[in-house]
Amino acid sequence: MAEAFFNEVATAIGAEWINRSEETLRRYGENTMPGGDRRPLGVVYPGSTAEVQAIVKAANRHGVALYPVSTGNNIGLGSRSAVHAGQVVLDLGRRMNRVLEIDETLAFAVVEPGVSYQAMYDELVRRGDKFMVDVTSGPPQGGMLGNALDKGAGYGPYFDHFGFSCGMEVVLGNGEVLRTGDGALAGSELPNWHVSKYSFGPILDGLFAQSNFGIVTRMGIWLLPRPPAVRSFHFTYPDDDDLGEIVDVCRALKLSNFVPTLLRVANDIYLCGSEHPSPDYSPSNRAPISDAARRALREKDGLGAWTVSGAFYGPSMAALDPQIERVRAAFGKSGKATYISHEEALGFHALQVAINACSGVPGVGELGLLKWRPGGGNLWFLPGTPMVGSIANECQRMARSIYAEHGMDYMIMNVCSARFARGLHVITFDRENPDENTRANACYEALARAYAERGIFVGRAPLDYHALHMGQAMPAFRDSCTAIKAALDPAGVIAPGRYGIG
Amino acid sequence: MQTDFTAEQLRDPAIREAADILGTCVHYGFCTNTCPTYVLSRDENESPRGRIDLIREMLESEAPPKAQTVAHLDSCLSCLSCMTTCAAKVDYAHLIDRARFHVERRHRRPPAERALRALLAFVLPRPRLFHAALALGRLGRHLQRLLPSRLRPLLAMIPERTRAQILAPQVFKAEGESRTRVALLAGCAQQVLDGNINAATIRLLTRHGCEVIVAAEAGCCGSLTLHMGREDEAMAAAAANVRSWMRERRGEGLDAVIVNASGCGTTVKDYGHLLGRTELAGEAKEIAGIARDVTEFLAGIGLRPAAPERPRLRVTYHDACSMQHGQCVTRPPRDLLRAVGFEVMDVPEKHFCCGSAGTYNLLQPATAETLGRRKAGHIDSTAPDVVAAGNIGCLTQLRRYVGAPMAHTVELLDWATGGPLPPALAGAALTNRPAPEPEEATAATSAPAPNDDAGFW
Repeated sequence: MAEAFFNEVATAIGAEWINRSEETLRRYGENTMPGGDRRPLGVVYPGSTAEVQAIVKAANRHGVALYPVSTGNNIGLGSRSAVHAGQVVLDLGRRMNRVLEIDETLAFAVVEPGVSYQAMYDELVRRGDKFMVDVTSGPPQGGMLGNALDKGAGYGPYFDHFGFSCGMEVVLGNGEVLRTGDGALAGSELPNWHVSKYSFGPILDGLFAQSNFGIVTRMGIWLLPRPPAVRSFHFTYPDDDDLGEIVDVCRALKLSNFVPTLLRVANDIYLCGSEHPSPDYSPSNRAPISDAARRALREKDGLGAWTVSGAFYGPSMAALDPQIERVRAAFGKSGKATYISHEEALGFHALQVAINACSGVPGVGELGLLKWRPGGGNLWFLPGTPMVGSIANECQRMARSIYAEHGMDYMIMNVCSARFARGLHVITFDRENPDENTRANACYEALARAYAERGIFVGRAPLDYHALHMGQAMPAFRDSCTAIKAALDPAGVIAPGRYGIG
Repeated sequence: MQTDFTAEQLRDPAIREAADILGTCVHYGFCTNTCPTYVLSRDENESPRGRIDLIREMLESEAPPKAQTVAHLDSCLSCLSCMTTCAAKVDYAHLIDRARFHVERRHRRPPAERALRALLAFVLPRPRLFHAALALGRLGRHLQRLLPSRLRPLLAMIPERTRAQILAPQVFKAEGESRTRVALLAGCAQQVLDGNINAATIRLLTRHGCEVIVAAEAGCCGSLTLHMGREDEAMAAAAANVRSWMRERRGEGLDAVIVNASGCGTTVKDYGHLLGRTELAGEAKEIAGIARDVTEFLAGIGLRPAAPERPRLRVTYHDACSMQHGQCVTRPPRDLLRAVGFEVMDVPEKHFCCGSAGTYNLLQPATAETLGRRKAGHIDSTAPDVVAAGNIGCLTQLRRYVGAPMAHTVELLDWATGGPLPPALAGAALTNRPAPEPEEATAATSAPAPNDDAGFW
């Protein structure tokens, strides 16, 4: 069955684009989650939509499960590791990495799955730096299309990466090619494909965000004209429970969109952890950081329990003086916040990460978080809270105690928009230590249960927990997903099990 | 990563260090995205983490290294792009060096390869010999077909024109009052390939109040032999330099050691490690502590642009890997070029190596050519008037593929502060680019200030 599949794929796209070497299979199975590695059956590198289509048709004929990845940089959420061992990884990043179009009048780009944030940034700079792509603070080599489809987000006005995508080309599980939005019109000249989200008929785009119904091979992504000046601001607060006040201030700033960026509200360990490993942790002391060490870290870096970062855009730095004064007044009301100016933050590693993120500049600055503890274990728990200070505080107390119960370090950044803040909870652990691995898994599951009981769902999740989260959904939601899967991918060849579907 | 060294093996401090480094790799895989050889081949053994696994296996084993392992290690550029992107901060630089030393000692290469490596290691660090060899090589081009196939790519690599200027030990007095006294690493191959780089560096430094010495008995930094796995030769070269510069430091004083070839700079800044287990450890650390890339140093003292009008050129700045990944010096050259009035462009995919990598383009010509052409395509896409770089290796490699003239960063800075036109620009059509708006954009960006065509602010 598998041999026949690979033979057919070799005929369709060339044998040189199939990789089944021992090292490749081992490494593509690796991930950072507690559940262990999952060795794929092979890795295939298509070069075009037509080749993806040929591979999907072959998978249908031979009953082989495919697992598409764009650049495979979803570290902490699954890497390039398939849902189950024995699936064939469809690595779209190697050859389908072209920027197909950049429209400098209407400010959008059209990309294939392998286009990374860095590649898009480089291309925009090359063209004169007139546009800004909204970036994550994750790896610069991460894929824009994959991030948008997994409901990833950045920090600028176009932070909602799926929301600011427009028009897709998708190879469905049944092998058909679908164009969404205005692209659905029969024909080949489609001037509205990547500019109009509301064309005739149902909005099918959403079906391909966090699903396994098709393989998106092309996507339009909107770009923001680059502002001549980006001026950041930062406020640091001394106490854990200051989060409530911060969230309430941020809500007002965002509801009116006075601040154009999202507001990054990071705790001490999140910020300090991007520079230092845990000072307390050792193989003989696999415990969370002590209060004393936490205080010492803060003092060393001149930060408090929470630090807020955001930025204004304008024609010049000087023109932004009034906005800076007003935002200082807003955060200054209670007297608890200490202001850190843009100029001071430029020389400060952890805050430079925020400046880059708000400026559409990809960077590796935040990856240091992953070495807070050694051993390569990393999970991201990604629920959120409504932008209500009291609820945010309730959630942080709950999460903080669950981390502590499992011997983990509470590391979080709340990314605040107007009504909702996504809580980027990081769990770093020594994956090579069985006890710590078990505790990390239990910690994640306990967080997932506790938040669900509070009525809060996750926005994204590590692959190991997709089934768990789908199990938390109401039956009608699950049944709908199953029914759509059956309609668009009847043989279940695309990533069965991903997002708990199929 | 877990290792399985014996207690006996771990008694060797070099193996102990390698074991510690190996232990920090957790296979996140970020490195694979930015490793040139992995991106080209998608072969895990051509990636940093793949090589780390091979090194572990090789060092743990008592047997001679496998030929296949050696091939994968040889094809590593040591560009250190992996170190910039590694979240676990694995010290790959010292690990691959250790692996190369091990290969050199325990593996017997085929005779032709052995001879070629020995030849390069002997000739390149000796400027006068290298100069003579280049002349011989140019003659040899006519007899290419008679030469062994392994030597032919070397002949193709010989530049059409070189400007050799081999400096004797001497002192160059500061113009006006002397503010600081520095030693220039005159280097080895660079003096033969392009003597104007040192000349421009000296003019630039003396013009800005520095007394520059070329110290007696200082020579090749050791980098070329280090990356060929010849540890003893590299250490000998480093030790000679440390002794020479320390004599100056103790004598009339030395504020900095200036390096204008970033490949060499990375090595000199690491002398503390290279000689860390020798009697020179303390002095080597001291020299490493005062080693500066010339642009780092100039950014510290500030430049005085000359008044005479020059065209405002678009300079596409190429980051040598040794500069961006090895030394993490990325802003000073750009800031200086902008400060003297050039428009500065980045190269797309700037984290990627151009294929030069010391002797790499001589030993692995096919991969080097692929990378050179790829880099040249990106450079050409920025429509430069001139391309600047801070490493002679990159300049020599890229001149073969890039359409625009190429100059060392110091040659442009020298010109902009009163020195002569860089030879690379002689006869070139120099277009005057429009001046920027008074207030530059955010410091985070690296291109010309945006205009209002796209958006309204």
